[in-house]
Amino acid sequence: MGACSACHGANGEGGQGPNLVSGRGIGRLSDAQLFSVIRNGLPGTDMPPFRMADDKVWQLSSYVRSMSAPAVAMRLSGDPAKGAALFSGKGRCSGCHAIRGVGGVIGPDLTNIGGARTMHQIRQSVLDPGARIEPGYEAITCVKADGKEIRGVARNYNNYSAQVLDREGALHLLSRSELKSMKIEEKTLMPGGAAELFSAAELADLFAFLSRQTTRPVEGDSK
Amino acid sequence: MKALLLVYCALTASAQVTYQDLVRSPNQEWLNYNGDYGARRYSPLTQINTVNAGRLVAKWVYNVPGARRLETVPLVHKGIMYVTDSNAAFALDARAGREIWRYRADQVKNSRVNRGVAIHGDRVYLVTTDAHLIALHRVTGAVLFDKEYASSKAGYFSTIAPLALKDAILVGVGGGGSGQRGFVAALSPEDGHEIWRFWTVPAKGEPGSETWGNFPAEWGGAPTWTTGSYDPELNLVYWPTGNPWPDFYGGRRPGDNLYSDSILALDGTTGKKKWHFQFTPHDVWDWDANEPPVLLDTEFRGQRRKLLLQANRNGFYYVLDRVTGQFLHAKPFVKRLDWATGLDDKGRPMLAPKKAPTPGGTKICPSVRGATNWMSPSYSPATNLIYVVTLEQCDIYISSAKEPVPSSGFRGTGSEGIPTEPGVFFLRALDVTTGNIKWEHHMPGPATMWAGTVSTAGGLVFTGDDDGNLVALDAATGRDLWHFSTGHTLYASPITYEIDGKQYVTIAAESDIFTFGLFDAR
Repeated sequence: MGACSACHGANGEGGQGPNLVSGRGIGRLSDAQLFSVIRNGLPGTDMPPFRMADDKVWQLSSYVRSMSAPAVAMRLSGDPAKGAALFSGKGRCSGCHAIRGVGGVIGPDLTNIGGARTMHQIRQSVLDPGARIEPGYEAITCVKADGKEIRGVARNYNNYSAQVLDREGALHLLSRSELKSMKIEEKTLMPGGAAELFSAAELADLFAFLSRQTTRPVEGDSK
Repeated sequence: MKALLLVYCALTASAQVTYQDLVRSPNQEWLNYNGDYGARRYSPLTQINTVNAGRLVAKWVYNVPGARRLETVPLVHKGIMYVTDSNAAFALDARAGREIWRYRADQVKNSRVNRGVAIHGDRVYLVTTDAHLIALHRVTGAVLFDKEYASSKAGYFSTIAPLALKDAILVGVGGGGSGQRGFVAALSPEDGHEIWRFWTVPAKGEPGSETWGNFPAEWGGAPTWTTGSYDPELNLVYWPTGNPWPDFYGGRRPGDNLYSDSILALDGTTGKKKWHFQFTPHDVWDWDANEPPVLLDTEFRGQRRKLLLQANRNGFYYVLDRVTGQFLHAKPFVKRLDWATGLDDKGRPMLAPKKAPTPGGTKICPSVRGATNWMSPSYSPATNLIYVVTLEQCDIYISSAKEPVPSSGFRGTGSEGIPTEPGVFFLRALDVTTGNIKWEHHMPGPATMWAGTVSTAGGLVFTGDDDGNLVALDAATGRDLWHFSTGHTLYASPITYEIDGKQYVTIAAESDIFTFGLFDAR
């Protein structure tokens, strides 16, 4: 794996080589194609061949595929019901995040988080929320010409306009020409400290709950 | 937490789209696929007009990531524009063209075009290729529900912009070319549960089933893949249906094949059929009636009537009474029409001899794409004209009596173009009550586009042409006032809206959303 991470990143999230976690590239390959890419490399690219025994190549391809598996496929242990209570109670997650329309608006919608993200990504977002800020959720403060201040998340901005969602769920479509100032804070609004707030068992429950949030059942899952 | 939610609800409630908003559209906003419930696509906006249309300039272009063939008709509400691609919806700042949110149904394996969202309350509604209705919060894009309404495993798919009524979201399905049984369904705006369903092919023993011989209803087709119209006063939905299956061979489905190629007038509350009118009985040419039904109250032969107008794919322009379904008038709107010698006094076509597909191929006009198709026409009360994108073309139609197998790609064979007789597009302005052509605008090009129209109180009609231009024509005369080359083939209908006193015109073009407004020196 050390050889892989040199190009694909320590967590497989890309670098010189493609992101293996997003699932977009890997998902389109058959098992045989993935095997071939690892064994033979991709001529004309920086992907070299890896001359390993067949069973090692199969193990590696299986691991690579698991990296992009959505969290819902992991069937985590832990109590989802207790996790739900933590989500809306002690964790106060639902103050900012909505699931099926219930909850706040200032954080990303989590209705399909288990279907769209890997468990690694979910775990990282909870335990180290500053490690990655979802595009469209940077904290922003705009001051209009009349002095009125608008604070929220920047769903988008450039030199000419800003689209700001405030904590109350109101959307402000602003022209930069009508602003006195605009300040983007390159930090997340999501509070840290989850590892201290929750016990290990509570975290397991919370992850069990989040990983099961999906809009569509996982293929082959009869539950 | 509860307090926060209450505040949120209170602030957003005023921005919700009400039923009255939908009835009043279009005004500054554009809230229905075809502008208003009557599919007239007539905007009261006048800022852009016959005097200044030459000063239109591009305001912004939004590239829809990954898009290749956009057929979306944008909706605009409270400064936000909603557009779609296959299994995806995007909210844009309608002044700036900047993305506010995007939603992708990444789990959907198959991919077809999508024609737009419906909006209702604080939600926008999107169908996915695999026939799910998805409700998204209009401001945040958050998923509120995801509900399957037809099985993709059974061959159903969906491309439609849903139609929002007061208490229901109406959807339809594709499948006319692969042997599925069409239906119109009313789904709950709250959770997507089905309120009513009308099957477009009657079950054995039901009225109309005698028009199919022994052919299985489950294979009959008559799909419902385009958005219908609605009369709020009559509470009647007017939904067009597509061809019977197999498309080009009718030997195993003797009879008229109701309710294919028809307009269905359905009670908006119950889905019960009030009347139907079939344009092309026993269709063997694939002439779906999925062209938008235009609803209009006007004088007809000295009497004020509630009319339903349709320029049909089969080449005839029809005038019906939409209260009763009575046929009132029809006239060809293309010169290349030879499959029928005319219509009788009930509107039934009188078939020309030897104008059905044959194993060896038969030249028949219009072509399989039709004299027009799903591209939207528009109407202007100022001119009393209806503007119809028209294709003059014939095809060689070929049939096969092979045993039909649903979902196998079998259509009873098909059609071929005639290389020495290329198709030619026109925008034709028809008198609404007579169907007489008042003027026409010739569109040189490869005859590959599918763009519709919008007309305005500024005396303009906008349309896409066959060379990738968005054009502005004088609605009264057809005079060419302005054009802009998008560099793309156009597969969508334009819209117009106004924000902060400025009027804009928007059209989707292959991979991009183009928006125009008057040149502003500031």
